[in-house]
Amino acid sequence: MTRIQRETIANLMIVGFGILLLTWAIPTYTPAYPGYGASPALVANVSVGVMIAMACLSLVRLLLARFAGKTLPAEEGQFPEEAQSTGFTQVGRVNLLHLARFIIPSVLLLAAIEYVGYVPAAFVFLMVIQYFIGSRKWLQSTVVSIVLVAVLYIVMRYGFGVPIPGPQLF
Amino acid sequence: MEMIFAGLLDSLSPASLMFVFTGVAIGVMIGAIPGINGPMAIALFIPITYYMTPLTAIGFLVGLNKGAFFGGAISAVLLRTPGTPEAAATSWDGYPLTQQGKGEKALRMALYSSVAGDVISTGVLIAIAAPLAAVALFMGPSEIFALISLALTVIAGIGTNSICRGLIAAAFGLLAGLIGTEPVTALPRLTFDVYQLGGGLSLIPVAIGLLAFSEILIQLERFTVKGGGEHVANVFSTKREDRMLSFKEFFSKIKTLLRGSFIGIGVGAMPGLGAPVASFMSYDQAQKRSRDKEEFGKGSLEGIGASESANSAVVASSMIPLFVLGIPGNLAVAMLMGAFMIHGMQPGPLMFKENAQLMYGIYGSLLLASLFLAVIGRFGLRLFCKAVEIPAVILYPIVIFTCIMGSYLGRSDMFDVGVMLSFGVIGYFMRKFDFSYVAFLIGFILVPEWERALQQVVIISENNPTMFFQRPVAMALMALTFFVIGKTFWNNIKAGRDCRAEKVKAPAKDEND
Repeated sequence: MTRIQRETIANLMIVGFGILLLTWAIPTYTPAYPGYGASPALVANVSVGVMIAMACLSLVRLLLARFAGKTLPAEEGQFPEEAQSTGFTQVGRVNLLHLARFIIPSVLLLAAIEYVGYVPAAFVFLMVIQYFIGSRKWLQSTVVSIVLVAVLYIVMRYGFGVPIPGPQLF
Repeated sequence: MEMIFAGLLDSLSPASLMFVFTGVAIGVMIGAIPGINGPMAIALFIPITYYMTPLTAIGFLVGLNKGAFFGGAISAVLLRTPGTPEAAATSWDGYPLTQQGKGEKALRMALYSSVAGDVISTGVLIAIAAPLAAVALFMGPSEIFALISLALTVIAGIGTNSICRGLIAAAFGLLAGLIGTEPVTALPRLTFDVYQLGGGLSLIPVAIGLLAFSEILIQLERFTVKGGGEHVANVFSTKREDRMLSFKEFFSKIKTLLRGSFIGIGVGAMPGLGAPVASFMSYDQAQKRSRDKEEFGKGSLEGIGASESANSAVVASSMIPLFVLGIPGNLAVAMLMGAFMIHGMQPGPLMFKENAQLMYGIYGSLLLASLFLAVIGRFGLRLFCKAVEIPAVILYPIVIFTCIMGSYLGRSDMFDVGVMLSFGVIGYFMRKFDFSYVAFLIGFILVPEWERALQQVVIISENNPTMFFQRPVAMALMALTFFVIGKTFWNNIKAGRDCRAEKVKAPAKDEND
């Protein structure tokens, strides 16, 4: 996908999201005007208005660029920032598979903690995450998982007195 | 005067000393790890400050931030991979010295320059913040509203190449900050009938998701595609003169350090510019004015001093707008502002009136953090150098799991972990599409105060549409806001034209060649 296409999709999504907010979410989930002061919906409407206006402006710019045949880089690498000296901009292609690899286990951890408790769920989660990161040293992964789970357990329970999430074995 | 002594004595209590010391030590360690910077460290550690007193919490976070600023220089010097963006200029001279076996000398120069910049900047903060805050107390809601609008506009330009995307991010931040209970009617707003959203989105999971989790997702992407495995070059020479920094060597660069410090103070005091700007500006000035210009980029101690003194000076001076006006100038200070708010305080000029003892305690902690940085850096340098070698397969799981459990710690609610993950994904997309997460966070933090000021203005003026044109300072600030927007748009258009003109020229030149 070219950069123009990616930016166009992003801006269109912002416009769509903004319209949804303006027409449904803000009117439905904002209290009615109490008769004094500014309306509770004012800042929300202005914010969404700014989002839509800026996205439309970007779309116009992209449209002009497309018709004028201007050259935004047609295809870009995954880490184009490495060409820059500071190296801290991270604009680039989205890798959905990579995102899923780390988000899905995290979401499953949330659900698993409620059913099996913190210790087993966190242990399995850390083993899976280390596998996805590329660790194939099982002993090292096991030690890292056990130590990390134990340290945070002790810190939460005995350091801060925070209730440990989910059912507890001990 | 009693308040000053009481505050300073508070900062000398064993708990305060311990937490400031620990904060600096952790900050240096974390800053040394490439990719983990001060704001990210603050986001990760804010949850544990819930369990501290306000003074120890702020002292700990300030120490963490100061430590991380110096820590960034360690990986810059040893690996040419700056741990923080502001340390990029340090790597230009630090790494060549490391290749010559003088890495330890470069790090000592970076340390002492950092401490010098930091001490001078803290002194300036202490000297001017309170008097300026006294003046700022005369500002009414109109001026506060106009000032926050200006700050949001200036900050919208940070971390993105497009003001449009910056404004979208800032507006999105404002919107996210509106979720919760509406202040006038005390009824839920934009909560989608989710009861956990009744109190609004908590800053901790939002900040951890946007700053830490999304950053780790990006770094992991790079790591899994390209792999890691950078190794530290020859750092510790056996020759004493290659390891140690003499008084003569240090003091011969004092002019550069002073210049760098004052550049850092000036840049830090202006919202939106940030430490990287100070660092590059100071390096550029030092190179232009140096007698050994040709040494820059090849291992000049003066270059390291210029960069480090300037970026460290930003740490304290960036708190000037926070203490005087209640506006965060950069991301680290925005996170500190969040920490103040978590402890029930609203940063701004009123703090000197309402929490004077605490403010002087914070001043004491700031000075102590500089002292601890010098001591910890001096005696722990070799240990911290080991931090850059922590294997990624161990480091990343630790950070990911800390993000998850850190989000839970704040309110002991797994819902916050879900919020963190959501903002982690949002942050990932924002970074990929060049939307400024800095503008988002600052908008998110400032919106309650902005809306409160707006409500006050509307109520006081009885819905008079000319309310902002009745007070000259507010009018000037609003005019400045529109000027900044117009100027930034114009600069963007001009930059685009210049870029296209260069592209047209380049092939023509090639053909001529």
